[in-house]
Formats: sequence, C-alpha cells, structure tokens
Amino acid sequence: MTSLTPTLSASSNGTLLEVKNLRTHFRTRDGVVKAVDGVSFSIPDGKTLGVVGESGCGKSITALSIMRLIERPGRIVEGEISLSGKNLVTATDEEIRDIRGNAISMIFQEPMTSLNPVFTCGDQIAETVALHAHVSDKEAMERAIEMLDAVGIPDARRRASEYPHQLSGGMRQRVMIAMALSTNPSLLIADEPTTALDVTIQAQILELMKALRDRNKMAIMLITHDLGVVAEMADEIVVMYAGKVVEKSDAITVYERPHHPYSKGLLASIPRLGEHRKRLEVISGVVPNPLNLPEGCLFKRRCPYAMPICDTAPPLQQVAPNQLSRCWLTPDGSAPAVGPDASGDIALDAAAKLSVES
Amino acid sequence: MAAYILRRVLQAIPIVIGVAVVAFFIVRLAPGSPVDKFRGGRVSPAVIENIIKLYQLDQPLPNQLWSWITTFPQVWRPDAWGYSFTDGKPVLYDLGNKIPPTLLLMGTSLVLTAIISIPLGILGAVKQYSRSDKVITILATIGYAMPTFWLGFMLRTVFGANLKWFPLFGAQTLGQSGLNVPDLLWHLVLPVTTLTIVAVAGWSRYMRSSMLEVLRQDYVRTARAKGLSNNRVVYRHALRNALIPIVTLFGLSIPALLSGAAVTESVYSWPGLGYLAVDAVRTRDYPIVLAFVMIGAIMVILGNLIADILYAFVDPRIKY
Ligand SMILES: Nc1ncnc2c1ncn2[C@@H]1O[C@H](COP(=O)(O)OP(=O)(O)O)[C@@H](O)[C@H]1O
Ligand code: SF4
Ligand SMILES: [Mg+2]
Repeated sequence: MTSLTPTLSASSNGTLLEVKNLRTHFRTRDGVVKAVDGVSFSIPDGKTLGVVGESGCGKSITALSIMRLIERPGRIVEGEISLSGKNLVTATDEEIRDIRGNAISMIFQEPMTSLNPVFTCGDQIAETVALHAHVSDKEAMERAIEMLDAVGIPDARRRASEYPHQLSGGMRQRVMIAMALSTNPSLLIADEPTTALDVTIQAQILELMKALRDRNKMAIMLITHDLGVVAEMADEIVVMYAGKVVEKSDAITVYERPHHPYSKGLLASIPRLGEHRKRLEVISGVVPNPLNLPEGCLFKRRCPYAMPICDTAPPLQQVAPNQLSRCWLTPDGSAPAVGPDASGDIALDAAAKLSVES
Repeated sequence: MAAYILRRVLQAIPIVIGVAVVAFFIVRLAPGSPVDKFRGGRVSPAVIENIIKLYQLDQPLPNQLWSWITTFPQVWRPDAWGYSFTDGKPVLYDLGNKIPPTLLLMGTSLVLTAIISIPLGILGAVKQYSRSDKVITILATIGYAMPTFWLGFMLRTVFGANLKWFPLFGAQTLGQSGLNVPDLLWHLVLPVTTLTIVAVAGWSRYMRSSMLEVLRQDYVRTARAKGLSNNRVVYRHALRNALIPIVTLFGLSIPALLSGAAVTESVYSWPGLGYLAVDAVRTRDYPIVLAFVMIGAIMVILGNLIADILYAFVDPRIKY
C-alpha cells in the first residue's frame, strides 16, 4: 500500500509560506496590467488557505508567481515570497527547480490539457519522483503506481500504462493530484482544481484532497472563484478583487460576518445544494478593465454601498479580530461616522485610528 | 495496423485506375503529336505512317485507352507501360534506371533537411524574437522566395563553372564505368544543396510554429511546474508533440519533393526520373509522360498512407 509519510516541516506549526506585497505586472502594448498589485498573506504549516475571487482577479498569477512560472511579458516587479525563510523571488533558477514539484506542487484547472498526451500517466508521475527523490526509474514507477492507488484510481497498475486520453476528466485530475503529491510537498497549490469538472466529481475530488491533506499534513493554497468550494476546507480565506486583497480572515468569519461588500456578493452567489452553478449573478456589473481601473476603491462602480468617500482608495484595515477589509464601511458595516459626504482625508484619519495593515 | 494498411491499399486501386484514365486524356489533349519531330525533315511520309501504325496511334481513342488500362497493372511484364517513343526501350526499364538516382537525391536531401530544419525551428521557437530567431527568419524568407531552378543555376554557375569545385552535370564523371562512390557523392553535392536549401527554408518555419504552439500548451506548464530543466521540458515534453504535425506534413509533401527534384535534375542533368520526364514532355514521348503522371499519383497516395502510419506511430491518441 501507500507510504505517505508526513513531511518533516509540518511538525512545527510555524509559517510555511509568506507572501509580502507581491506585485506581478504585465507590460502589454496597451499599457501595464497590474495583475497582482500588492498582495500579502501567509500560510502556516499544514493549514489551508482559500483564495477566492472572480475570474481575472489575479488568483492564478499569484500562484504562478509563487512557482516563479510567470512568463513574458509578465514579471514580479516587487515583493517577497518566502518559503520556510527562503526568498523565492531572488532564488536562482536551479534553486527554484528544486522547489517546484518537490516542496511546492501545483495542480491546474484544466485536467483535460494539463497532462502530456504522448506519455503514459505512470511515466509522467514517475518522472517527477525520479527527478526529486533520486531513485531508479523502476522504483519511481512503483511509487507512481502507489500514488495512483492512493488517489483512488482503480486498477492502478494498468492505469499507469495508459495515456491521458484514455481517462475521464475526473480521473485525469486524480492523476495530477497523484503527481503533485508523489514527492510529499509541504505546500500544494490547487488552482481551481474542480472548476472544469461536473458537480459530483467536484465533491469527490475535494473529499480526496481533504483526506490526503490530513494524511500528508501538508498546507494547501486552494484557489477558486466559488466561496462554496472552500467552505469546508479552508482555515483562512483571502478574497481578491482586481489584483488586490479586499478581505482576509478566518474561514468562519467570512461566512458568518463578511465585511467587504464584494465578499457579501460572493457569499450570496454560492449555489444552493443540487442547483447548477450560476456564476456570481448577485454582483451586478463587470470586473473593471485592468488597463482602466477606477480611481479610489476598485469596487465602487459595482458596490451597492458606494459613497463619495470611496473615490479615495481605502486601506486594508482591521474590522474585527483576525478580519481585515479594504473598505470604508465601519466595522459594523454602516457608512463611516464622518457621514456620507466625508472627504477622503477625514476618512483616512478615521482609518488611521484603526490598525492599518497596508 | 496491418489490416488498416491492407484496406488503404485496396482503397487506392480504384483511385489509381481513375488517375490512369485522366492521365491518358490529359496527355492526349496536349497539343502536338509524337511524330511531329519527324515531319518536315528527311523522314518520308510512308515511314511516319508506319510509326503511327506501329504505336497504334491510328486506333480509335477508346481502343487506345482500353489497351492502356488493361496492360498498365501488369508491371511484371517489361512492356506493360509501353515503349518509349524516343529510345524504343520499355518504359518500365527506363524507370528502373532512373528511379534509384532520384531516390538517392531525394533521400539525401530529406535527411539533411530534417537534421538542419528541426533544430533551427526549435531554436527559433525557444528563443522567439531573439537575434538568432530574426536571422533564421530572414534567411528562411530569402530561401523560400528563391525559385529552385534559379538557385540551382546560381550554385552551378558559382561553385561549378566559376570556382570549379563541383561538376556541372551528371551523376558521374564521363567515361567511368561501374559504381564510384566518392565520384557519385561529389556529383551529388550541388543538386542536394539546391533541394535542401529550399526545403529547409520551409520546414524550419513549420517546425518553429509547431513548437511555438506546443510551448503554449498547459502540459508544458505542468512539466515546468514539476521542476524539470528547460532542456528536458523542450526536448522531451514539447518536441514529441511538436513533431506530430511535422511528421504528417512530411508524408503529404513527398509528391512536392518529386517535382522539386524534377527541376533540380533538369538543371544538373541528373539522370533521374524528373530529368527523364521533363525531356519526355519536350519530345512528346507519351508513354514516359504517362508513366511520370502515374508515378506522381502513386506518390500522392503513398505519401498519404505514410503520413497516416507515421501519425499513428508518433501520437498515442491515434489507433487504427
Ligand atoms: N500574458 C498576459 N498578458 C497580459 N495580461 C495578463 C496575462 N496573463 C494574465 N493577465 C492578466 O492578469 C489578470 C489576472 O489573471 P489571472 O491570475 O489568470 O486571473 P484568475 O483570478 O482568473 O486566475 C487578468 O486581468 C489578465 O488580464
Ligand atoms: S470602499 Fe466604498 S465602494 Fe469600496 S467596497 Fe467599500 S463601500 Fe463599496
Ligand atoms: Mg485562474
């Protein structure tokens, strides 16, 4: 059977990954796209962070920045990403290759296209094992078969010799998970791992990830555009909007007392059980064009609470213990005490009295 | 796979017969007659009449067609494809002599083309818009724009006539008998270079765009996310996928290669099929022209079959 040994670093409960003020920008012909613009968060050992937001808000670019997989014309222009104290932004290519697929593994949204069509599933997993565990090809293949078994693929030995096109989408995502976990990473980045799958398969994959997380004691960064998906898995949740973190708190708080109007909108749009996924119908309007962002609060054109003060960009400020929100509304959710005609400066003063993170 | 190949070969039979009919009419509809070259000279009209009778050119067209359709498949008979009007030898005998030099020319050029254009294409894609990519692009555009015959004449003039590094024509030095490999290779250099330069110009472009397409795919990102080195990502994960369309295109381009070889052979008087065919068109040697059209058609069918077989070989998603 499987030999999924817990990772060593998981024993202490320190910070595994710390992202500080990350800015990843794309220089395009039409201007600079600030895909990720000043994002900070941290993931403790063995904990799960949910990253939530509509499509285009910068979730994938954040994840790819951590993996240093940003391609031209994109570039990490500022910030620090430290994994157990090591800064990944300044690490050499060789150091990064040693971390990828080893300390940090990543699975992607599209299981149909994320596996190489010309190699067998077993080969693709064994390649990762052989690369990082420095074992023989034969041992690596045995390990690959063990992993396929561990992710619930029946008849793993036969499946290992099959090509991706012979497997369904759900099975392929299981293969991706097997590949990602074959090296016992301390962090798994899962970028919308269930978005492309149908509802019953989604639930199975999430169950599988939960079971493996508990067994492997690894941390997970679970990216999704659906607050419902992270509900039972995440310890902490980061809500992103237009390249920025707009709300950050523990998972229960986001569900019970979301502060930011955007989080409230996301929460209201969670599909009810048995219902088909409706994508964020509750939030009116569209995501702002990244080349033409509004002045002040980036959400103001869609926000039902928008007020004059919102023409000034709100800081990410504490609204409750362990809850940060980038919104001018008071902690109890009403307009700031200074009134709806408050100027930006007065509001900023009011904000300064609260603990301000960024 | 064997059953599939057999089925494809059987399917090809009616196509070959169809081509035989069409080819017959095309050749007949071309202006002029094979006896034209005898007219107005010292050859008496009686002799010309005899020639017409001998080659059954006085027979009604349907009879001529019927005799062609019924005899051409009997390739084990030396006279199945008739006799050349010019040298009087069986067409199949002439073909037998001319096919090996053409295969040598095409084959050498093919191998060189693959060896040169695949790495150039990879380099262009991996280092897209770099200086080396731009240089390759410019050279490829020049190579692509040059007509084969013009390039052939240029190389022949410069390296053959002026510098005298290589012979001007033929496959062997005059007065030689038997196979002399170094002499043959020496004669091969300029024709092969001509064919290869033109082919590399196109193939390095195809390879580059195929590679660029593959490098954008999700599975390449997966390979990088595994921690593989750039070389391993490019040469193991991307290359095999990038070669799939190239290999298919390769099979389909075999007939085009034959026509390229025909031009080159004419320029260098290379004693191959193409040279024979161009000469035959000039002298209205119907049986030879007909044979060349037939071989062209068979090459198309064969090229398609080779493309499909290679496709199944390189792409595990294809099963016949
Ligand atoms: N190659 C690129 N060139 C320009 N802009 C890009 C590129 N890749 C991503 N972006 C921009 O980055 C932003 C965030 O993208 P992404 O992180 O993929 O969003 P998501 O949250 O859906 O994963 C988007 O607005 C997108 O337009
Ligand atoms: S700052 Fe103003 S516009 Fe922005 S989310 Fe809060 S209330 Fe809405
Ligand atoms: Mg995404």
